[in-house]
Amino acid sequence: MALLELKAVSRHFGGVRAVDGLDLSVEQGQVFGLLGPNGSGKRTTVNLVSGLFPLSSGSVTFQGNSLDGLATHLRLQTGIARTFQNIRLFGQLSVWQNLWVAQNSPQDRARHGFFARWLGGQSGAREEILPLLEFSGLAHKQDELASNLSFGEQRRLELARAMATRPKLLLLDEPAAGMNSEEVGQLRERILSLRGSGVTILLVEHVMELVMGVTDCIAVLNFGQKIAEGTPAEIQANPAVRKAYLGGETA
Amino acid sequence: MDFYFGLAQIIGVHTLIGLSAYIVLLTGQVSLAQAGFFAVGAYVAGMLTVLAGWAILPALAASAVLGAVVACAVGFPALRVKGLMLVIVTLAFGEGVRLFFFNFDYQVAKGGVKLGPLGSEGFRQIRYFPENGWTTMDVMLFIWVFVTLAMALLWWFDRSRYGAVLRAVGEDELAAQSVGLNLTAVKVSAMTIGGAIAGLGGGIYAHYTTHIEHASFGILLATFALAYPILGGLGSVFGTLLAAMFVQGFLVEGLRFLGDWRNLLFGALIVLAMNVRPKGFLDAPTLLGLKRLFGGKSGAA
Amino acid sequence: MLDFFQSLSDGVLFGSTYALIGIGFTLVFGVMHKLNLSYAAASVGGAYCGLLVLQVFAGAPPVVVFFCAFLAGGLLGWLVYLTCFHFIPISNPLATLMATVGMLLLIDEIIVHLTAGMPVGYPAMFDDVMLRMGEFTVRGDLLMVFAVSMLCMGGLLALLYKTRLGLATRAVSQQTVAALLCGIRVGQVNAMTFVITGLLGGIAGAMIGASVGTLSPLLTTPLTTKGLIVTVIGGLGSVPGAIIAGLLVGGFENVLQQYRGVTERDLYVMLLLFVFLVFRPGGLFAPKGGRD
Repeated sequence: MALLELKAVSRHFGGVRAVDGLDLSVEQGQVFGLLGPNGSGKRTTVNLVSGLFPLSSGSVTFQGNSLDGLATHLRLQTGIARTFQNIRLFGQLSVWQNLWVAQNSPQDRARHGFFARWLGGQSGAREEILPLLEFSGLAHKQDELASNLSFGEQRRLELARAMATRPKLLLLDEPAAGMNSEEVGQLRERILSLRGSGVTILLVEHVMELVMGVTDCIAVLNFGQKIAEGTPAEIQANPAVRKAYLGGETA
Repeated sequence: MDFYFGLAQIIGVHTLIGLSAYIVLLTGQVSLAQAGFFAVGAYVAGMLTVLAGWAILPALAASAVLGAVVACAVGFPALRVKGLMLVIVTLAFGEGVRLFFFNFDYQVAKGGVKLGPLGSEGFRQIRYFPENGWTTMDVMLFIWVFVTLAMALLWWFDRSRYGAVLRAVGEDELAAQSVGLNLTAVKVSAMTIGGAIAGLGGGIYAHYTTHIEHASFGILLATFALAYPILGGLGSVFGTLLAAMFVQGFLVEGLRFLGDWRNLLFGALIVLAMNVRPKGFLDAPTLLGLKRLFGGKSGAA
Repeated sequence: MLDFFQSLSDGVLFGSTYALIGIGFTLVFGVMHKLNLSYAAASVGGAYCGLLVLQVFAGAPPVVVFFCAFLAGGLLGWLVYLTCFHFIPISNPLATLMATVGMLLLIDEIIVHLTAGMPVGYPAMFDDVMLRMGEFTVRGDLLMVFAVSMLCMGGLLALLYKTRLGLATRAVSQQTVAALLCGIRVGQVNAMTFVITGLLGGIAGAMIGASVGTLSPLLTTPLTTKGLIVTVIGGLGSVPGAIIAGLLVGGFENVLQQYRGVTERDLYVMLLLFVFLVFRPGGLFAPKGGRD
């Protein structure tokens, strides 16, 4: 059974069909790429899965359970976390606090009592947060305000914050936007190491170098509909994809 | 000396109502209802000691609880509306509470005198402190015990995950939702705690002034409540304390020789302060700088 | 029954001033997504400034007083913009809100200081005229207030929908960034919005003075709350909503004053607000979409 399953999902904004009858199935442990030109419905798909707005029609199931009508914060507790294309950190909180507030997973709830979890000091959460600081390479900046970090550091922190919620499925919304090729290489290592630890990833990205290097499977959207699906090699060879991306040249 | 004790009492009570607005502001909500919770606490505590003959501590506990209950009840529907709508709704709620007490009569004959709230006349003779022989200093110390407790509580929140969560919600609701925080629960909890502190402050206020009336709980008090944490900055509870000391101690009392002009100064000072330091006196970057300046080790270190 | 209609009609006529105040709040909200809490105080302040004419030319006709109030209101609006909005970064909504509250207190205190807190008489027009239809009467001064208010609203709507300035204002309120990219000077439009709402406020203050017969600093708080309630009931950002809600609130409160007395009246206006919040939280005319 697929981890995440979208069946005939549509979302309309007024007369615009941002996503139109989309079927998608992401298997456990995959890095699944979502490609498509601007305005093809990739981001809307991510927003629908994370629950920022409701479906117009269709169904989304996660681990066999329908997500219909489930609020964003509750989706997170079932194991769906996300990052944002335009980084949304808590700028006036420290790096440590950014990771700390994200500790809302059922595992964290089970481990600490109510009072320890809400009213305990920072030392009580060391065990959970130190590995995340390590993972993001921000251990030396744990007390810095998030707004004082560099762009690349902020991206890393946002990824670590999503990981702090212990997701089963991680939605990455253009994580490489604005990065240089060295940073993209580091991001690639991080994504692969996450896959190694068993996290399923849905990756929306424009940077081909990254998408082709890390994904197991890719779906290509255009005008809200799926026009191709397959391995990176198959997608690169697909004429319909070339046409959607490079319309001017082939047509 | 009594003058300074009296001043300390006023500063203490104003710090309490400032703190009640502080915790709500941390979640990014601007509430002008704090004066309403304060009024509820004042009338309840006064009625309990005067009419029901309760001791002061249980009466204050009751006013804190009732303040919390009212705040929670207001919070659930009110926090569904966002941002500026909330300002309007809470302003209307605060005015509604004031108008309720303006029309509220409940008098009981005690020892040949009629006691209790009487509409626009207000509620006179809340004489628990003088009847029990408390001096001004006793009352002052009593008030500051509660101020210290409330500040310690909020200071502790700031060291805990709850405090970080409050600030996270205040900064970016969408991101807060996306890391699994229940916005309604967080905001209503802050509102409830704020209501309890305001109710407590009101209960104390009723007893040290011995006479309360609806006009004291108007928009001006609600403004003061918001002004302390905003002027002081949301970085730390001490900002609120500093602002309350500055406004009540310096502007209201210290400049008394200016007569009516000092009231003009208050409004002008708020306008000026917001232009010069829009984030208040003690904001997060300033605090970080102060910490580094004094070499204090912070947080987990 | 006659009492009911009598107080309803008086209330609706007087409600046109609430509509003007509501429009002021709603326009600033629509254009800047900010609350200007000092607006009602500035309006009353403008009305007071109108009285200054009588200091200079004793016996100036009421029309001149009203016109000066109108101009003074516009000037105050610009001052409020300058002190509370212009220099404060847009990312600090708390600071602008607090600054307008400071301005509210400042204006209030200046009035109290200059008038020693005593009510001041305000000139009216047609206050000796009374239109009669059997037992039912319409007060001439209220009718004048209503007519002037409607005239101002008409002028405002013409400005908003027939002129380039109005077009720019509406563009900014719908899509600030896009308007900026189209070369509209958003700062100027914001400042103009404050001047225009200030002009409306000045005339609203003068009309309130004219129909009540006196002005007093005690007017500012209830006027602020009522203006805001009108704004919410009408739908934040909706000008037609504010007009209708203003008339509604005016009629509602006067009828309740008739039956429940003046002290309880405002309590019922608050209840009306909460009824709307529960059953129609977007107000009568909730604007669709809006800017993000």
